[in-house]
Amino acid sequence: MRETVSRDRKLVARADRVALAPYTVWAVLFILVPLVFVAYYAFTDNNFQFTLEHVKRFFTATSTVIGSDGSAQEVRTYLLIFWRSLKLAVISTVICLAFGYPIAYIMARAAPRVQRTFMTIIMIPMWMNFLIRTYAWMTILQDKGIFNNFLTAIHLPTVHIIGTEAAVVIGMVYDYFPYMILPLYSILAKLDPKLLEAARDLGCSGWGVLKRVVWPLSLPGVISGITMVLIPSISTFYISQKLGDGKFFLIGDAIEGQYVANNLHFAAAIAFVLMIVLLLCMGIMRKLAGRRVEGGL
Amino acid sequence: MKKIIELRNITKSFDGEPVLKGINLDIYDNEFLTLLGPSGCGKTTLLRLIGGFETPDEGQVVFLGEVINDVPPHQRNVNTVFQKYALFPHLNVFENVAFPLREKKVPKDEIEARVSEMLSLVALAGFERRSVTSLSGGQQQRVAIARALIGQPQVLLLDEPLGALDLKLRKDMQVELKKIQKQTGITFIFVTHDQEEALSMSDTVVVMSEGKIHQIGTPIDIYNEPVNAFVADFIGESNILDGFMLEDFRVTFSGQTFECLDKGFGYNEAVDVVVRPEDVDIVPIEEGQVTGVVTSVTFMGVHYEIIVDVGGFKWMIQTTDFVDVNEHIGIKLDPDAIHIMKKSEYSDLYGDYSSFSNELDELSDAESEVEA
Amino acid sequence: MRPIAKVYTALIFLFLFAPIAILLVFSFNSGNSLSVFSGFSLHWYKELLNDTNTLGALKNTLILALSASILSTVLGTAAAVGINKLRSRSMRAAMNTVTNIPMVNPDIITGISLMLLFVFAGRLMGLGTSLNFWTMLIAHITFCLPYVILQVLPKLRQMDQSLPEAAMDLGCTPMRAFLKVELPEIMPGVLTGLIMAFTLSLDDFVISYFTAGNGFETLPIRIYSMTKKTVTPKMYALATLIFFAILALLLINNLMDEETAQERKLEKARRKKERKPLSPRAKRTLAGSVLGAAAVLALVVSFAGRAQELELNIYNWGEYISDGSEGSLDTIKEFETWYEAEYGQKIRVNYSTYASNEDMYAKLKSGSVSYDLVIPSDYMIARLAAEDMLLPLDFDNIPNYKYIDEKFRGLYYDPDDTYSVPYTYGVVGIIYNANQVDEEDAGDWDLLWNPKYAGRILQFNNSRDAFGTAMYKLDIDVNTDDKGQWDRALEELRNQRPLVKAYVMDEIYNALESGEADIGAYYAGDYFTMVDAQADTVDLQFYYPPATNYFFDSMCIPSCAQHKELAEIFINYMLSEEPAIANAEYIWYACPNSLVYESEDYIDEMGEEAMEILYPPMDDFKERYNAYAYQNLSNDILDYMNELWESLKIN
Repeated sequence: MRETVSRDRKLVARADRVALAPYTVWAVLFILVPLVFVAYYAFTDNNFQFTLEHVKRFFTATSTVIGSDGSAQEVRTYLLIFWRSLKLAVISTVICLAFGYPIAYIMARAAPRVQRTFMTIIMIPMWMNFLIRTYAWMTILQDKGIFNNFLTAIHLPTVHIIGTEAAVVIGMVYDYFPYMILPLYSILAKLDPKLLEAARDLGCSGWGVLKRVVWPLSLPGVISGITMVLIPSISTFYISQKLGDGKFFLIGDAIEGQYVANNLHFAAAIAFVLMIVLLLCMGIMRKLAGRRVEGGL
Repeated sequence: MKKIIELRNITKSFDGEPVLKGINLDIYDNEFLTLLGPSGCGKTTLLRLIGGFETPDEGQVVFLGEVINDVPPHQRNVNTVFQKYALFPHLNVFENVAFPLREKKVPKDEIEARVSEMLSLVALAGFERRSVTSLSGGQQQRVAIARALIGQPQVLLLDEPLGALDLKLRKDMQVELKKIQKQTGITFIFVTHDQEEALSMSDTVVVMSEGKIHQIGTPIDIYNEPVNAFVADFIGESNILDGFMLEDFRVTFSGQTFECLDKGFGYNEAVDVVVRPEDVDIVPIEEGQVTGVVTSVTFMGVHYEIIVDVGGFKWMIQTTDFVDVNEHIGIKLDPDAIHIMKKSEYSDLYGDYSSFSNELDELSDAESEVEA
Repeated sequence: MRPIAKVYTALIFLFLFAPIAILLVFSFNSGNSLSVFSGFSLHWYKELLNDTNTLGALKNTLILALSASILSTVLGTAAAVGINKLRSRSMRAAMNTVTNIPMVNPDIITGISLMLLFVFAGRLMGLGTSLNFWTMLIAHITFCLPYVILQVLPKLRQMDQSLPEAAMDLGCTPMRAFLKVELPEIMPGVLTGLIMAFTLSLDDFVISYFTAGNGFETLPIRIYSMTKKTVTPKMYALATLIFFAILALLLINNLMDEETAQERKLEKARRKKERKPLSPRAKRTLAGSVLGAAAVLALVVSFAGRAQELELNIYNWGEYISDGSEGSLDTIKEFETWYEAEYGQKIRVNYSTYASNEDMYAKLKSGSVSYDLVIPSDYMIARLAAEDMLLPLDFDNIPNYKYIDEKFRGLYYDPDDTYSVPYTYGVVGIIYNANQVDEEDAGDWDLLWNPKYAGRILQFNNSRDAFGTAMYKLDIDVNTDDKGQWDRALEELRNQRPLVKAYVMDEIYNALESGEADIGAYYAGDYFTMVDAQADTVDLQFYYPPATNYFFDSMCIPSCAQHKELAEIFINYMLSEEPAIANAEYIWYACPNSLVYESEDYIDEMGEEAMEILYPPMDDFKERYNAYAYQNLSNDILDYMNELWESLKIN
């Protein structure tokens, strides 16, 4: 009996290693190595000699900017671009969280069959091609677009949305909304309803339950959701072009621009800095959340 | 004594299935009351109605004279100890216990003092900083109790709180709970399906099944004078036999006539006779009122449990004397060992001691059907 | 659900579905507009079904998505199993981090990094091209893996560990224990992972863009290049079809879920003790996956089978060849048929598209692809030639070259006519809405700087063209290497910025057609497309300013070509009458082929106004061309221009 147990154990252990092996190889080859390449390109020049010039350029390049009053100002080009991208991304993420949390909560409280339907409905926009979705929003938000035509039809004044930051934010929120909802829903659904009853029993009104029990316990999901929205929002370029009337030059545009102008090394440098910043952000968020975040979804 | 809760004509259904069918119950101040019954009898639902997590379809929940049907849980002066404790995993022991006080914005020093007091009450002093997930079942239990009591509710609801504990711990907790109740003077409404627990802890026992109350009374009354066959069968072990009441104080069953202490039945009325296994005396055959053959003997530690075939009907007898299988023995019953009940819809549901459980009965019935 | 919850949910759903509803409705639009509904018609769906290129891209996308999702699910599930069993905390943390990386990395970084890897690997292995279906597949699997793992891992954790132990105790090997016991338990997670992977692969644009190779065009890439030229409801029709297909899949999946939920309840009620290791649902899914895998294998094999045919790889602008839509000639198909008839051999043309010269250049430069024919613009040809990236043409194989008139030969970018055969040419003009713009303001570039029309003006969203407009206006040489002149041009663009409604490329169509803006500069041929689709309130007119951009797009053979002679035969075919006319009529740009502009049929088809605008009488064509065409700029100036452009954009 003991023999078979230890042989079983060995078999199992070997089986586990075998299961993990292909993925490990894959991960090293196609996840880690490419990143090394990015770093490699970021820190070398056209002759592949080591240089810090590209990374330095990211931080030190300047441009002249003319204010509306005509005054000229020197700004750090890429830092400004980065800052703007970050700003829009953060706004979008906050909106996604603010509107996504309630809907995730409602979903988690619904009957199981309804929950599945909800899930499907939430995911459907993700199945529509991203380019076309954005185009559709363009036709909705234009000055002579569908929304304004609707307002005119009911005798309300038209609004100018397209080309403003608001339009870009709308586009980003729309595209990434499901990514916020799914992890939130996942964790809210796992919440033990007895905990909520206990809170009510002990004197919490509806709002108190939310604040003191639901929210703290849903934090890992919140972190996940924020991550899944913030990252793509920062690096998007198509949305800003189409919905921003080409007036917003974001970090994604910068990288694409450098790639297309065949400045691969500088493009890699921008990408590298972006990557590091994002990794740091994520690390900080996880530390703040306190508990180990085990898989977002 | 003051009536603290009155339940009047409570009816409740879920999905068209009736769960409570016209419950009437008065609960008094400083009382340890137990709702006792098998799974699905509605006791937990009743508890939740009192707590405010359900509202009755019909009837009223009255608290200190006021109807509170529509009052939400957080406004009722009633707290619950949940079956799986429902401790907040993101808070430590101190914060869990302090939770209701923080909600009421009680000042910090007062919170500290009261939490210490509570933790001492449940013998968990010094555990303030511990994480609740690192505690054992019994410890979690006690935190849950402390948390529920700290707000000084007038009624504490306990939903099968001891189910997850092992035997020794359970017995200890039963004693502790009883002690706490006496100490605080708070009304405890306790739900369980374990009749031993109910009998040992309660001032009042309410026996329920299928949404109805069978009997309300002290443990002694319930045990000694069950009102129908269900109660008799549910509480403790009972031999339930068909009999005829000849006249007051005399009853015929098992082919024999016995003296008993009950009266008030009709002449020759068919009745249910309850004989507790521990009340049966084993005597030599010639001294017995009836005789039987021992079919099995099980050593239970405290006593022997023996099954005796008396004229085709299997009795259970608990005795400290050893008898052998296949022995012929005599049985003698003192008058107070016999309890008479009116026939009811429950009368013929409980057979003899061929087997201990209904499930096994069903299965063997099914088997014999197949064989046949 | 409480009423407020209902209302909120309804609003959210409205938000989520508004664009989709728009899409659905407009796919049936009888007109060309995306924002004005003219009537109900199935016209675009018919178009779509005739558009073999798009259907081809759709097929490619499905094959890719199916393969990627199945493979990543298998690999990911195995990985999740392995990760779940890890004992050491640090290993687990490491695995968690690595798994998260593709999710956390922006698409654009993942795409570029993988491309760099593949190019490097390709060079290392001495391959001519390194990007193809397999590299895209690898890329897709890589970004799908984390999502699969993240779906399966929690299910593994939740599962009762004693179940597989019980199976092994009863005699199963670990593998069988997994298949019979663990897999059914985690199946919901596996399936969700599969569906997620499929979704992601289907929709991916950025990563595919960087890792795509010749001949394998996916739908998002195709749509991207489709929208670079004309924008019609056809792509809405495409999106609608995909939408309904997926809806159908999901409904079926949901219904199956329902069924098995009921089944399970009944099973449980009847038999408490017996445990069915493979529920009917798991069986079905297993069967389905096996079938799916078999299908994929079959398709992949059919790919391999194709290697027997002759191949020709063409890289062209999007919407830049007559493709059979709207009853036009399908040039590629016709070529294949003609070639088979003429040479007795089957040939397959792999047709890919790009959205800009720079995109195409970047792809060729990376050395990761191999195309036999490209159709760059003039200045790009000059650059490619200077960098030895083009092959000299053997004109013995292109006898139809005689139809190219003298005035289109010997142009600056190919002075000895070594590398190129002109395909189209054109001139940039100014398009304006006569209902909103006064006649007297029109005539030159300053219309685009006229403060009277502030907020109604469109400017190019690319550096070269935008600077071009300013430089033509200021009478500066667009090819100057005097940085001071470039600064002046920037100044001019800065002045224009407050007046600009939007910086556009393909969005210009929709903007001018719907009256969203009133003034813009674009190519002559595109003007006609816009007129066709203009709203009732809009009356578009066109004129050439005195100094403006002239361009040529010419057919060339890049040095990475593997089928040079075939390419030359193709060029010759494109110069023959029928295809040349068909292409010219489809593209609406001027054609330098005399067979075309001297053809009665063509002239009738185009109409008087079009002929006037597209072929303005120009005796000094060559001089004008050499004066105003974009030429190659030095790297130094290019960088400078980009810097200036960035500072304009971030203002």
